[in-house]
Amino acid sequence: MTLLVERLADGLTNGFVYALMALALVVVFRASSTVNFAQAEMALFTTYLAWWMTTKGASIWLALIAACIVGFIIGAVTERTLIRPMEKRGEMPTLLMLVALFTALNSIDGLIWGLDYHSMDGLFPGGIDDYISVAGARLYFEAIGVWVAAIVLLAVVFAAINKTRLGLRMRAAADNPTSAALSGINVGRIYTIGWGGAAVLGSIAGILIAPISAQQLSLATMFPVLIYGSAAAIIGGLNSLGGAVIGGLSLGLAESLLTGYVDLIGPQMHQTTALAVMVIVLLFRPTGLFGSRLEERV
Amino acid sequence: MPASSMTDGAPRTRIPGVPSGQRRHVAVMVLVIALLLLGSQAPVYRVSQLTAVFIFALAIMGLNLVAGYGGMLSLGHSAILGVGGYTTAILINDARLTPLSTIPVAVVLGVLAGALIGLPASRVKGIYLALVTLAFAVSFPEFLKRFDGLTGGAGGLIVRSRDLVPPPWSGFTRAERGEWMYWLAAAALLLGFALVRSLTSSRRGLAIRALRDHEVAAVACGVSAARDRVTLFAISGGITAGAGALYAMYLGALSPESSFTVFTSIQLITGLIIGGVATSLGPVIGGFAVVFIPAVTTELTNGQAYGLVFGVILAAVVFLMPSGIAGWLNGLPKALSVHRHRGTKHDPERHDGG
Repeated sequence: MTLLVERLADGLTNGFVYALMALALVVVFRASSTVNFAQAEMALFTTYLAWWMTTKGASIWLALIAACIVGFIIGAVTERTLIRPMEKRGEMPTLLMLVALFTALNSIDGLIWGLDYHSMDGLFPGGIDDYISVAGARLYFEAIGVWVAAIVLLAVVFAAINKTRLGLRMRAAADNPTSAALSGINVGRIYTIGWGGAAVLGSIAGILIAPISAQQLSLATMFPVLIYGSAAAIIGGLNSLGGAVIGGLSLGLAESLLTGYVDLIGPQMHQTTALAVMVIVLLFRPTGLFGSRLEERV
Repeated sequence: MPASSMTDGAPRTRIPGVPSGQRRHVAVMVLVIALLLLGSQAPVYRVSQLTAVFIFALAIMGLNLVAGYGGMLSLGHSAILGVGGYTTAILINDARLTPLSTIPVAVVLGVLAGALIGLPASRVKGIYLALVTLAFAVSFPEFLKRFDGLTGGAGGLIVRSRDLVPPPWSGFTRAERGEWMYWLAAAALLLGFALVRSLTSSRRGLAIRALRDHEVAAVACGVSAARDRVTLFAISGGITAGAGALYAMYLGALSPESSFTVFTSIQLITGLIIGGVATSLGPVIGGFAVVFIPAVTTELTNGQAYGLVFGVILAAVVFLMPSGIAGWLNGLPKALSVHRHRGTKHDPERHDGG
């Protein structure tokens, strides 16, 4: 029972972070019909930046704000300079641009901040005694903090998309760019804002996961998050915001329970498990569980 | 675009002053053999680098079938390369087979791995397929670590050099393993080249390119999308796994994190894009790029900057030279002749389907 609660809690913590990453990928997909391979590396860059600021004496909250601002700029600039010019050239060149950004950003992080592992202070108290007991299991405050932060963030994102004028424009631009443009929406600017916003989500996800990641803060911290995030986004359906959250949470829980209880999978096969779930879902529903079908006109 | 991309791989435009047909084939063969002989006379480390170039060129040639002619971006070819490499290493170490006799086994397993990765391609397309292939690339090192009894786990495998001596009939002595590998890799590359050439200029090759350029129209003309895509992945897997087998024989040491991660897939893709997608020479140029870019950047920066260099070059090529170096070279004679007959109608040649 104790073990079960601990595994569920672990799964939930990871699941919330995956959900944030998946949400970022979905926001980008709705704007540019591509999966941002570099999403996690953008987040890694801003997470390094935040860590570096804390080593210089800045508070983690100030570092968080700086990371969000820089993240927004990186996302927006990427859309405007690398992605928009590829719009008419199709899927593959866009994807290649993002693959290029992926390797370049990771390498830049390595050049600036080196190959060492760094331990990073979280937003929430992370001491050994900062926990509450539930059924004998220890629920650490830093995990609960991640849940709360993620829930608040998700609520803000959904409110922004469903209740504000900007959100309305975003939905219009995603559903039908031509009609949106005809009714006076600057679709290009909306896409740029979408990419920026997605990168902000990623930045926050990075700062939430780095303190509790097994990799600590290193060049390999965020790549698994991308894998889980994209698996979650695919499972939910790449253009479904709600699907991304459900996909992220269920993937986090499934990962924790499967690798915990199924011996054949064992501790080495975390990512494989997530990806196997993704491939199976895709084979039965090629656009995910909640995604709308692609139609092709002849 | 659909009409123009149909021409790639098909008989080239006649170039004035260059002999055609049989005579041209002989001339090209003589030139290739002369270049290979010249290369074999280079200093030892250069010969070794060239061997690596041939091996990567072969791996990229396999990728080109899927990504270039098939228009399906595969990030999973690092796993296929690994299947080939590990098959050869395990068979030499555990089954005491001679290196050469492991190659057919590696190729067959590569065909199966390719078909497995390609199976989703019968249902899943575009970006979704890219993510599925990425899944295989990410899972492969985890599998190696999980089944460490067979694969040596994170520590990897070492093939002792006395198990990698050239066979007696080859005429190479034990000390001449470098030259033996050079000629073996060159022969494999030529074989792969001929295979890809004949495949892409066949009816089936035409069907595959038709699928890439306009799936609905191709299917309406009787092309079986699912069967052709899986077959393409299978053949591609066989070629890349063959390269993996040679890679194991060349290096004599394999480990999951050094050679078979997603970054290897990205390297292969970058090589292909620089060389030229859906061209027959592109993979060879790509092999040079993959081997020499890291070599040069390590000399210059003395660090891990090659990821940055790869990224910048990949982005620049996609921006400025979408058909790669080989595509650009192929377009040259045409561009020149257009200059000469200004005013004739000309459809700018683009290979951006890949």
